[in-house]
Amino acid sequence: MLEIKNLKASINNKDILKGLNISIKPGELHAIMGPNGSGKSTLANVLSGKEGYKISGELLYQGKNLEEISIDERAQQGIFLAFQYPTEIPGVNTSNFLRTSLNKVRKSQGKEELDALKFIKMIKDKSKELGIDEKMLSRQLNVGFSGGEKKKNEILQMKILDPNLIILDETDSGLDIDALKIVADGVNSSRNDKKSFLVITHYQRLLNYINPDHVHILSDGKIVKSGTMKLAEDLERTGYKGIN
Amino acid sequence: MLNFKIDSSEIDKVGNFNKQEKDFRLKNLENFNKNGFPNKRNEDWKFSDLREIVSKNFKKLNFHSTNNTEQKIDLIKEFEHNFIVLTNGELTSSNFSYEDKDKIKIQKYSNYPLSEKTELNPLISLNHAMANKGFILEVEENYKFNKILVIYSLYTDKLNENIINCKNKIKIGKNSELHTLEYLINNSKANFFNNIYENIVLDDSAKFKNICIQKNKSSGYFHKYSNNKLGTNSNYSSFVFPAGLKFNKLDLEFDLTGKNSECKLLAASYLSQKDHQEIKTRINHFASDCKSFQKVKNVLDSESKGVFQGKIFVKDIAQKTDAYQLSKAILLNDSSEFNSKPELEIYADNVKCSHGSSSGSIDKNSVFYLMSRGLSKKESVNLLIDGFLSEITNEIKNQKIKTFIINRLRIQLDGHKKH
Amino acid sequence: MKSKDINYNQDYKYGFTTDIENIKAPKGLSEETIKFISKIKKEPKWMLDWRLKAYNRLKVSKEPNWQKPKFPKIDYQDLYYYSAPKSMQDKPKSLDEVDPKLIETYNKLGIPLNEQKKLSGVAVDAVFDSVSVATTFKDELTKKGIIFCPISEAIQKHPDLVRKYLGSVIPINDHYFATLNSAVFTDGSFVYVPPNTKCPMELSTYFRINASETGQFERTLIIADKGSYVSYLEGCTAPMRDENQLHAANVELVALDDAEIKYSTVQNWYPGDKEGVGGIYNFVTKRGACRGKNSKISWTQVETGSAITWKYPSCILQGDNSVGEFYSIAITNNHQKADTGTKMIHLGKNTKSKIISKGISAGKADNTYRGLVDIGRKAINSRNFTQCDSLLMGNTCGAHTVPYIKNKNSSSTIEHEATTSKINEDQLFYCNQRGLSQEEAVSLIVNGFCKEVLQQLPMEFAVEAQKLVGISLEGSVG
Repeated sequence: MLEIKNLKASINNKDILKGLNISIKPGELHAIMGPNGSGKSTLANVLSGKEGYKISGELLYQGKNLEEISIDERAQQGIFLAFQYPTEIPGVNTSNFLRTSLNKVRKSQGKEELDALKFIKMIKDKSKELGIDEKMLSRQLNVGFSGGEKKKNEILQMKILDPNLIILDETDSGLDIDALKIVADGVNSSRNDKKSFLVITHYQRLLNYINPDHVHILSDGKIVKSGTMKLAEDLERTGYKGIN
Repeated sequence: MLNFKIDSSEIDKVGNFNKQEKDFRLKNLENFNKNGFPNKRNEDWKFSDLREIVSKNFKKLNFHSTNNTEQKIDLIKEFEHNFIVLTNGELTSSNFSYEDKDKIKIQKYSNYPLSEKTELNPLISLNHAMANKGFILEVEENYKFNKILVIYSLYTDKLNENIINCKNKIKIGKNSELHTLEYLINNSKANFFNNIYENIVLDDSAKFKNICIQKNKSSGYFHKYSNNKLGTNSNYSSFVFPAGLKFNKLDLEFDLTGKNSECKLLAASYLSQKDHQEIKTRINHFASDCKSFQKVKNVLDSESKGVFQGKIFVKDIAQKTDAYQLSKAILLNDSSEFNSKPELEIYADNVKCSHGSSSGSIDKNSVFYLMSRGLSKKESVNLLIDGFLSEITNEIKNQKIKTFIINRLRIQLDGHKKH
Repeated sequence: MKSKDINYNQDYKYGFTTDIENIKAPKGLSEETIKFISKIKKEPKWMLDWRLKAYNRLKVSKEPNWQKPKFPKIDYQDLYYYSAPKSMQDKPKSLDEVDPKLIETYNKLGIPLNEQKKLSGVAVDAVFDSVSVATTFKDELTKKGIIFCPISEAIQKHPDLVRKYLGSVIPINDHYFATLNSAVFTDGSFVYVPPNTKCPMELSTYFRINASETGQFERTLIIADKGSYVSYLEGCTAPMRDENQLHAANVELVALDDAEIKYSTVQNWYPGDKEGVGGIYNFVTKRGACRGKNSKISWTQVETGSAITWKYPSCILQGDNSVGEFYSIAITNNHQKADTGTKMIHLGKNTKSKIISKGISAGKADNTYRGLVDIGRKAINSRNFTQCDSLLMGNTCGAHTVPYIKNKNSSSTIEHEATTSKINEDQLFYCNQRGLSQEEAVSLIVNGFCKEVLQQLPMEFAVEAQKLVGISLEGSVG
């Protein structure tokens, strides 16, 4: 699904990723943990195609080189980034936005576009499944949402857009236990042998619920250690300083 | 006085000039005579009809300078300071005992670079034509003042329907730092007009902080045009507490010509009786990554009139500009008036520019709250005014100077309140 | 990361011309021209006198020059002041008698006039150059006592109302273009809503400039009598021509006690081509008087067309407790220039006004908000809130905010806020990441930016306006 080889990225002449390697197969869930400033969010941004980074190395998604593909085309081809800080867009209705987004994705995948009625049914079902209050969907996109609501909205979008590669950028931070469960349930119910996940997090907390296949530790722009869930547990005990 | 004209022979009476300068003065005099004192048909004077104000309050305007012998003044005791004294605009003494005198040059106004420009503001033309007083202060490179410099600006009781035209210039060299306090002391009982042209230049990485305040209420009619140029990485903050004049117009222009330069203008006024005050600013963002910040607060009592005209101009190359402007006014009386024109003119897209302007009565809920805690209505209102204006004084970092300023303001406020 | 190429060639979709035989007034501005117009409109003498009075005033007044957009001198003697399809000379009694070419023109513009196809819930007055072609739903409205007809018809049939109110909000001598309009106005709509009547449908006028070298000088007068309500919408288009055409309209609104008028404009005159050649000069005077107590006038405008737009729909809040509102979107692209805003003149007690202005500038365009809020001494307990936001796309365009704020009253409050910024890159990234292209993302974000104003439009037109917002900005990002 995703093949990253010797990825280097810098912004404003500051090196952030310094030769990162990772390989994710369909059906796998990888977790990346790392201290502040280790390059976690940069990795998420680079994968989704955010501009402003100088990049070298190889980025292969479903065997294709990602470098030449724009942000929206990556999204249409099934890369989904759940933002650490979802952006507020005033005046734009959440549900209208979602429908536009969904139809863009469907169209590029050769599926028919959904009309308003079918779409409403779909979001009703999905929000019910996730235990999300659908009133949220009639509000302006992320505007005035609490931290938890924003994250839940990201998970709902993930559910609806049905992507192949899902990147969760610290989706768990700042969540209370109930919201955390909604996020975890959303991930777990989406898992199948075709989808891959890259979960970026500070804490073991979320991982307890979602059971990663692999856990990597990112430090100073490189993966310094890889392992299983046990690595995350060790980390929780010893802190980042204890890992080496 | 509606059609006030100045005879060219007046130029000879204020000084002897070489041909080049005489021509310059004549040209400017002609421009002034053509336009006269500006009236409200002039967009920049829309809210302050100076022609009307002058003709109502002056029978004549006298250019003859009185003999400005050095007067005794009471120096500020609250903090140690250097000082210069200006008597009716003329530099009469200076004292830089806390500083390295080799680094500082102070002199009386002398020849000024003559510009070819035809000024749109007739008062600048008038100044160019008639100026014969003022000072030039230059600070060398890499010198930081140890103590504040107080500029005592004294207006004597000899003034009577005089018009003073002065030119002042301050130049701060690279990496240098200066802090000044302009202190206006007014002993004139009769009306007079003061027309100042000021030029301030900050070289790269220079820092300048200026505070301007009145000692007492005055029968002066003031107009000041100030041109301020900021070099790369330079920093300028200006505090004005400009109350107590019959008429006061501050026309302040800041040119942010060097990258990363920053200017700040903070003003707080309490206007009463028939005070008429206008603050007009124009901030020109000519280079990228510059910051400008303006906050202007007015409290208007009795028949006073306050005006704020502020413009932020951003040139197309001035990307990453951060410009902010806020004007707030409280009207205490139905005969008071506040007009504003906050303007944005922007040609660069990667900018953060905003302005806000509000005017209205004092917050009734706050008055109610304070009165429910036992304060009288008057005490409550005074407390709220204090709070409203203290947002500006709080920005002064030096504690002694801050206390001095707050006390001056309090005297102004209480003084007015008695009437 | 390569962003996709953007299609720069979105043509103005209303740019076609209708080939039709016209009757024109003699070229140029003269007493003869005015007499010609008055005669062909079969006007009574008082109307002609009124026009001539304006013409005499015009001779001694000058074009204003304080506005930001400068334009080449207009040769007023090189214009036609009246042009109408020949077939309209003898007023067609019904739609069947109207030249099918005209009906077809409106069909193409999306404004069907036929009984079977006409827009439901919207009565339309269709104005083609200098005449009104047809007015729909006339009978239904007549039953309620509502008058909705071309102003030329009102001058003949309802002279008392016209004489009472025409020029009462915009005096003959107001300013150059208003005076010009008073002298040579040709057609436009007249609306009278009787007391305590809520107009059951949207009233709408659709203005179309077709003939070349012709100015359009429409005049609209809307009177809402005590306790009545009316919502009115105007739309405008013109063919693509490489000459500049002048459109100088006057719109007067009068709201009596407890009455409310909602006036919406979707202005899409031809803006000129990408090099700034051609396009309409849109110099319009719109003013409403809240004459009665508790009255309300609300202006909403979406300005996307014209080479130069210069208009300030205003409210004179005379009645106590009256309310004035101004909601505006002005989009300028390529070489377009817009200088628009409002005046809120508070005279009565407890009067309230609200101004929401959204300016978007792209290409080499210039966009200015200019406004006045004036609270007089007697307007105690009055309030104004103003919010002006500007978006800039690229650094070859300009955005300007010039508000004049006057408060002469200590019990009144004025609040003004303004911001200028570019489209937030995080917002673009977020939309891109959800699969939207750069252009779709821009259109979505700009529509969001304009939401507060778009919401004010009647449903039928809000959708159209949203599309227009997107189209107007095409080619502005890349």
